[in-house]
Parts: sequence; C-alpha cells; structure tokens
Amino acid sequence: MQPKLKSKVRGADQEIGEVTKVIVDPLSHEISDLVVSVSGTEDRQVPMCAVESVTDGLVQLRMSKADFLEFAPFKREDYVTTHEVEIPHLEDHLQVTPGEVLVPFPELERNVKRRTFFTNLTHVIGLFIGLPLAYPVLKYLMKPMYAPFDNGWLKIGNVGKIKADDAGTQFKYKRKVKEAYLPEAEIEKNVWVLKATPAVLEKVYQGKDMEFRDALGKTIWTNKKDVPYVAFSGKCPHLGCGFKWRQHKVLGQVFLCPCHLSIYDAAGKVLDGPAPRPLDPLPIQVSASGEVQIIDMEFKAGTKSQTRIV
Amino acid sequence: MSHTPSPNTQATIVEKIIDFVDERVGLKLLAAKMLNEPVPGGSRWAYVFGSVLLFIFIMQAITGVLLMFYYVPTADHAYASTQYILHDVDYGWFLLSYHFWGSTAMVVCVFAHMSQVFLWGAYKKPRELIWLVGLALFGIVMGFGFTGYLLPWDQRAYWATTVGVEIMDKTPLLGDFMARFLKGGATPGQMTLSRFFVIHVMVLPAALMGLAGLHLFLFRTAGPAGPFRGTPAELKAKTDYFFPRQIWKDIVGMATVFACICALAFWEPVVLLEEATPDPGDYHPEPEWYFLFLFQLLRLKMFSGEFGQFVGAMALPGAFMALLAALPFIDRDPERNIFKRPVALIGWVVVMAAILIFTISAIINREFLD
Repeated sequence: MQPKLKSKVRGADQEIGEVTKVIVDPLSHEISDLVVSVSGTEDRQVPMCAVESVTDGLVQLRMSKADFLEFAPFKREDYVTTHEVEIPHLEDHLQVTPGEVLVPFPELERNVKRRTFFTNLTHVIGLFIGLPLAYPVLKYLMKPMYAPFDNGWLKIGNVGKIKADDAGTQFKYKRKVKEAYLPEAEIEKNVWVLKATPAVLEKVYQGKDMEFRDALGKTIWTNKKDVPYVAFSGKCPHLGCGFKWRQHKVLGQVFLCPCHLSIYDAAGKVLDGPAPRPLDPLPIQVSASGEVQIIDMEFKAGTKSQTRIV
Repeated sequence: MSHTPSPNTQATIVEKIIDFVDERVGLKLLAAKMLNEPVPGGSRWAYVFGSVLLFIFIMQAITGVLLMFYYVPTADHAYASTQYILHDVDYGWFLLSYHFWGSTAMVVCVFAHMSQVFLWGAYKKPRELIWLVGLALFGIVMGFGFTGYLLPWDQRAYWATTVGVEIMDKTPLLGDFMARFLKGGATPGQMTLSRFFVIHVMVLPAALMGLAGLHLFLFRTAGPAGPFRGTPAELKAKTDYFFPRQIWKDIVGMATVFACICALAFWEPVVLLEEATPDPGDYHPEPEWYFLFLFQLLRLKMFSGEFGQFVGAMALPGAFMALLAALPFIDRDPERNIFKRPVALIGWVVVMAAILIFTISAIINREFLD
C-alpha cells in the first residue's frame, strides 16, 4: 500500500504528525521519502526505509518521536514539483494526488550560480546568430527593388493614326524588360497621344516649356510649349489602372479610368473622381515624317506631386 | 489509460497494434483530451465556424499542393500552365475551381466566425488573446486572397495586384519600401509573381498553421465561452462534451460547405481572362468580391486627392482594425448578452450594412462602365 497525503504518521511510541508531501525517485518512479509535518517544529523528511508499514490512512514508523526529530528538516528548495519538470509516466503508478508530489532538484543544478547570467547569455548568443543574418537576408530580398531609369527613346507609331484634334489616341508599343537573370522579355505598354489645339496646349503647359530631368537633376528633354503633340502615360495617376478615351453623358469626350472612375479632360486635368493630380505628360518628339518617339516613364500613383519610378 | 485488453476477450491483431502504439505515444489519452472538452450550455450550430474554417484550410492546402504539380510560377508560363490545368488536365478545372471557391468560402466563414464571437461577447476576459490571434489569422486569410489572385497571371490578376500594391504604397513612411519589396521592383513583373508565389504557398501557410495552433491552444486554455444567457446551474445542466454532439454539428457544417463549394466549382468553374499585360484593353479592372466594398469606397468623392485617398485606403481600414484589436481592452464590461450591449449591436449592424451597400453599389456601377 502506498502512503497517502494527509495520512496520519505514528512513531513507535506516539502520534507524530501527517504526510504533507511525497518525494519520488525520478529514475525508479518509486516513492523515496515522505515529508511529515510536526506541530511546533519544522517539517521532517523521512526515507521510506524508516517506514514500517502503511495502512489505510496511517503510516507507522520504526522509531520513536525523539529519534524521528533527528531527521534533517525538509528543504523545499532542493525539490521541484512534477508540474515544473517533465518526467514521462512519473505519476502513472502513484495514487497520492491531489497534493504535492516532489522530485529532487538534481545535484548539478543545485549549485549553479549566476543562473540569470546564463539565461541572458543564451539570449545574447542567440542574437549573435540571428543579427548577422538580418542584413544579408534583407539585402538578398531587396536586390531587384531599385533599378536605374532608362531614358532611351522608343518609337511608338506615326501621327497619321490621329484622326481628330484634342482627341485621345492610344499608341501601343512594346518595351523590352530584363528582370534578374531572365532573358530579355517584351511587355506591351501604351500611351495616349493628343494633337492639341492651342487652347488645350495652354492648359497642359500653362505657357511654360516642360522639362524632364534625370535623377541627378540634369535635363534630359524639354517638351516645347508650342509643339501640338502631347503624350500622356497610360497609367492612371489615381491608383495605376489603365484609362481610356470615352464618351461621357455629361462631360463629352473625356479620359475615363474604369477602376475608380477618375475623369480627365483632353488636357489631362481632373474633371471628376478621386484622382489627386492631372495625367502625366511624357517627353515626346515627332519627326518630320510624323514618327512619334517617347521616353517611357512611369510615376507613382496616388500622390499630388509626380514621383518617377520607371 | 489502460493498455490491457479485458481478460475475457482475445485482443485482435489490430487492437494489439493500437495498444502497442498507444503505450508509447498515449494516443487514447490525447484523443480523450481532444474530444472530452466540456461545452458549457451544450453544443450549438453557431459554434461550427471554427471547425469549418479548419476544414476549409485543409482542403485549400490539399488542392493547392495538387495545383502546384502543373502550375509554373513564371511570367511567361503562369497563364499557359493555368490554362493547361483548366482545359487539359483531367479534373484540373474542378480542383482549380474548388480552390477558388474554397477561398471565397474561407472569407465568408471568417466573417461568420468573427461575427459570432463578437455577438456572443466571447472576446471578453479571459479570451482577449484568442481574439487578437484571430485578428492576425483574419489578416492572413486576406493575404492569401490577395497573393493567390495574382498567380493565374491574367488581366484580372494583374490589375488587382497593381491597384492593391499601389494602395499599400500609401502606408506612411514604409509604403514605398513595402510596395517595391512586394513587387520586387518598380512595376509588377516576374519578381512580383515569384514573391507572391512564395508568400502564398510557403510563408502564409506556415504562419497560418502556427497561429491557428496558437489560436486553438489559447481556446483550450481558456475554455469555450458558452451562451450569454442562463444561470450557472442551467448551463451546467445542459453542458456536454465536444464529442459527440458538437462534432456531429461540425461535420454536418463541413459537409454542407463542401457540397456548396463543389456545386459552385461545378456550375461556375474558373474562367481566365486574357493574359496579363500593362494594357487593360476592354477589361474593367475589379478586385475579388470581398474587396469590392473597399474598391467602391475609394471611388467616393470624399476620398479623392492624396489626403482623401490616404484616409479611405489606409486610415479608415487601419483604424477599424485597430479598434477591433483594442476591443477586448476597451469593452471591459463583463456583460456578454448582445441584447444588453446596444453599442456593439448597432456597430455590427452598421458595419455589415455598409459593407453590403458598398458591395451592391459596386456591382450596380459595373453596368455604367460598358
């Protein structure tokens, strides 16, 4: 029979106290010691070899109470509860719960000084492993994020395509892109070209030539204010969809973006809808034979000012 | 935990194998712990959504892995390989359509699950952390939808991504970096597809599994909240274990959702648009239906201009999510009965009505574009 918690403990001569804790050997899973509370003094730890018999609710010891008091007082700090330590199947054969079942705190563990220091050191070493990786990983992932601008001229078609003044005409063109190690690919893009009357031209340029600069601030091209051909980037300045030249019930012929319904007039000015700025004019030149060339640029959508990203 | 077969019957070989494994693993104990969870106040149909979500996720993982057998995540093959799955591979149309409608079912059930927890007041102490992890899971589900949308590389995919990433670009300070980071450059291309693919098939599933595990662990630690009405004695009288009554309701819920997804996949299989190009042609870009209300919101005049757009696309959704996250800490009243929480009830109705109205108006708006 196993000793039970709260069992009375009796010595050879008289009543001693009761079992308050049970200590289990972590290897054999057998009960090795009992902790017995004694009124008027500290708890004592009694090895099982001092137990003569165990009956229901009673633990009979071999010695008298005086001898019993020779046992060392119980040191709680030398033990951990089974909730604090993982020992599989430890409690399978025990019927002492509920209550505190203890196992010895290992000898080697007991005298570890600077426990907090070791805990912190573990974290520091972990950081030493992780931190040097953070920067290379970030750079690794950032590789394709920023590419220099391509300011080359692209042929996109002939002005003969334009049928009417102040009406948007879509010019589609192919642009070569090279991503990472991949072979050069072609993507289809488009701009809207306008043969503008002086009134519309005035609205686009507001009487000033339009300069385009590279990242260093050097002028790459100037759209003269009196050249009637205007090219608008095909990307809506609201959130980057593709807009179209369409008939609007009230506003007449307009540029309309089907995504969030931004509406622009022929000069690219916002007539209605959520767009934060007018359409983006691109550098354009038209040869004597009517061949149109542009510099392909894209600007960040959704901002009041133009920020070039391509 | 007993491994010994009863003495008067001979153990079959199967029982012996089970006992052998159980002795070493403790499966029976584990199963008992999983199934014998007391449900205060008894099982209910309202509680099925969590289990149904787990079921939908598992099915998404299975169909997703199957799709990867043929899908090629490159700008020049993504579209063709998806078309191949749809038109040439046996039952490819079904698996792809199941995956597509499964994602829709996921969003619907997330909404239902969150609404149920909100209306039942089950986010309150001591379940604040379950709610917070749940919100993170909600974000992951939205992330799944957003990244998965690009993978077929058709016009719908391309434009939803273009606009979505432009919106992300409007995040204060980090926006430009985040947008470029996701796109792998200034404009959508191969790097974008690679990144979305990795995020969709590796990063988000890992995050979802980890967080869903945590969600369940926290749920089991706190225990089910139970109904918001009834005295403790009444609740105790009606309490039963997770198995069998709640499991029964859950499996019926799963079977219903499965049947719905199959029916949708069968009658409305996925059809791709033209291959993605930076020219939308006649296509009118539109996001998936569960983002339509946000899309329509951004059409409003009050959200025009740079600042308006920031308010509509960033500040408003951000504030709403922040409010949801702060909810268990603001709403400290232990009252859980929704009929005694007028602000919560009205708030829920208003949010649902707003989403419904904006979604419907976006659908009506379609007609005026053609």
